[in-house]
Amino acid sequence: MTTSAITTSPASVEPIFNTKPRGLWSTAFHRLFHRRSAIIGMIILGCLIFIAVFAPFLATHDPVQSQIGIVDVQKRAAPCIRLFGCPADQPEFFFGTDGNVRDLYSRVLYGARLSLMVGILSVGFAIVIGAFIGAVSAYVGGYTDNLLMGLMDILLAFPSLILAIAIVTVLGPGLINTLLAIGIVSIPVYARIMRSSVLSIKQQDYVLAGQSIGSSSRRILLQNILPNALTPLVVQGTLGIAVAILDAAALSFLGLGAQPPTPEWGSMIGQERNQVFTAPHLIVFPGIALILTVLGFNLLGDGLRDALDVRQRS
Amino acid sequence: MIAYILRRIVLAIPVMIGILFLTFLLSRLIPGDPCRAMLGEKATKAVCDAFIERTGLNQPIPVQFVYYFGRAVTGDLGESLRFGRPVTDMLMERLPVTIELALLSLLVATIVGMTLGVVAAYWQNSPIDAITMIFANLGVSVPIFVLGLLAAYLFAVAFKDTPFALPPSGRLQPGLIVQTIPEAWGMENLSGPPRTLLDFLSQMYIVNGILTLNWKVAGDAARHLILPVIVLATVPMSIIARMTRSSLLEVMTLDYMRTARSKGLNERHVVFRHAMRNSLLPVVTVVGLSLGGLLSGAVLTETIFGLTGVGRTLFDAITSRDYIVIQGFTLVIAFIYVFVNLLVDLSYAVLDPRIRLS
Repeated sequence: MTTSAITTSPASVEPIFNTKPRGLWSTAFHRLFHRRSAIIGMIILGCLIFIAVFAPFLATHDPVQSQIGIVDVQKRAAPCIRLFGCPADQPEFFFGTDGNVRDLYSRVLYGARLSLMVGILSVGFAIVIGAFIGAVSAYVGGYTDNLLMGLMDILLAFPSLILAIAIVTVLGPGLINTLLAIGIVSIPVYARIMRSSVLSIKQQDYVLAGQSIGSSSRRILLQNILPNALTPLVVQGTLGIAVAILDAAALSFLGLGAQPPTPEWGSMIGQERNQVFTAPHLIVFPGIALILTVLGFNLLGDGLRDALDVRQRS
Repeated sequence: MIAYILRRIVLAIPVMIGILFLTFLLSRLIPGDPCRAMLGEKATKAVCDAFIERTGLNQPIPVQFVYYFGRAVTGDLGESLRFGRPVTDMLMERLPVTIELALLSLLVATIVGMTLGVVAAYWQNSPIDAITMIFANLGVSVPIFVLGLLAAYLFAVAFKDTPFALPPSGRLQPGLIVQTIPEAWGMENLSGPPRTLLDFLSQMYIVNGILTLNWKVAGDAARHLILPVIVLATVPMSIIARMTRSSLLEVMTLDYMRTARSKGLNERHVVFRHAMRNSLLPVVTVVGLSLGGLLSGAVLTETIFGLTGVGRTLFDAITSRDYIVIQGFTLVIAFIYVFVNLLVDLSYAVLDPRIRLS
């Protein structure tokens, strides 16, 4: 027994010295690539980014120009694809045409740009402001903490879409104002996450150790606290993009967000909503695009949460 | 327990004042001349002067807020610019529609969601689990308006002339006459709060139909609500299903579960008696938090299905720039939300005694 333990020990010890310890993010990515749902999410988002970047090359028509008078086609024409038996004497439109005789396929492709932009920018805005508020709140404490968190509680007291509607009503309709409204509405979530992260990390041994060897508080904040507070923000941010895209599309659907003829999915559906009984393809294609985009971010966010082992804080 | 309840209520007061202030700001931050923004470009100077005098817009901002505050707490939310009706009257008429829709949706979402969650957890990693979770993932990713429009198309056009056909809009079929409850009960002379309550309930057509024994109205109103309820319930249902599953699976790994099994209890008893109650707390949170989503979703659902509730009214007010209505309705929705969150907090204390002691 003892001899065998001795003979095997050099072999089992060696790899520990040879392998570099994996960091948090490296471990996370390793785990991420072993989760089926996360992989599906990444594939969907990869395709989406590809479509958004190469939209001009993939599109068959101008997304905002009406084809009336250019091609002989009716408005709200059903999809017509050569591969699936579209007659040669009819013009080809992959997803059909909309109420203004624009090519729906090209509009859906260009819509990927807008949805990704709105999602990422509004959440980015919310994370930067929210993380700042949360960090200040946790670090300063006292009255500042109470005041800032009270403010966040008031914002959280509104259902998010209702508050976004109210803000857009004040700012006026438009894509940029929608982006701002959704950003403002999402601030409290990130502020709270950042605050609770900083509060718990502040008490960790390695931070106390840093303080005891005389590190400056700036160094502690940037090198010790921020990287560790980042994981929950990244997870929540990924899931938050999904919500932001949904809310932005809802605002556009209600006529408050992107204005026609901008090819935005929510606004495309909102414009044609009364035609659903006669031309359902005008709802189906932008609808599928929206569902896939939101699904992609949700799956990736869930995968990241599992991979980074972040427990949801309520 | 009473001390805990009182503390929670006191904590909600500053939030409510904050909500009042924010909705007050809403009407003050509109760019440009407030009178013309509210009454339209064609308003003459005389009309504007009268309007400013009447609404106190010429007073200093803090004074205006005190006025607004005083009026709001006494139930005066101003008059609709478009209809000239008090906003409170409009709320009393339309809030019941939304409450009926939202409560039915929450009920469906909770029952179906929890059932699916338990089924998925019980047969973990089976095909049933996988299918349930795929649908739950899709459910949280589908925009309500896409789902609503497609459901309307499916049940009104594709299933036309089949038993599955359902009306895609409205609250009752044309020609069906609804009496208010006081009318049906022969209590037209009733007044005061009981009358207000009965009039409020009369607007919930299912409740109305049942209370006045008018089964035709109750049945038809229910038929009209099937699609909106399914559409509105989808998101909370998916969230509840996922939360129930993960919460139950987490509890199942705890030591006392092994104890329960090792003392010879059968699996069903272990799951339903020992695991369920302890996994319920996160689920209650999610059910409570769903209400915010339901109120947001009501704007979209009611707009699509032509239900004249709070959401539809808010949408109409936005398109006609009826700021007073937007302000009043936003305020009331936020208050309802705060109230429900308070109830959720209190229900924790009932479910988990540790919370009220800490």
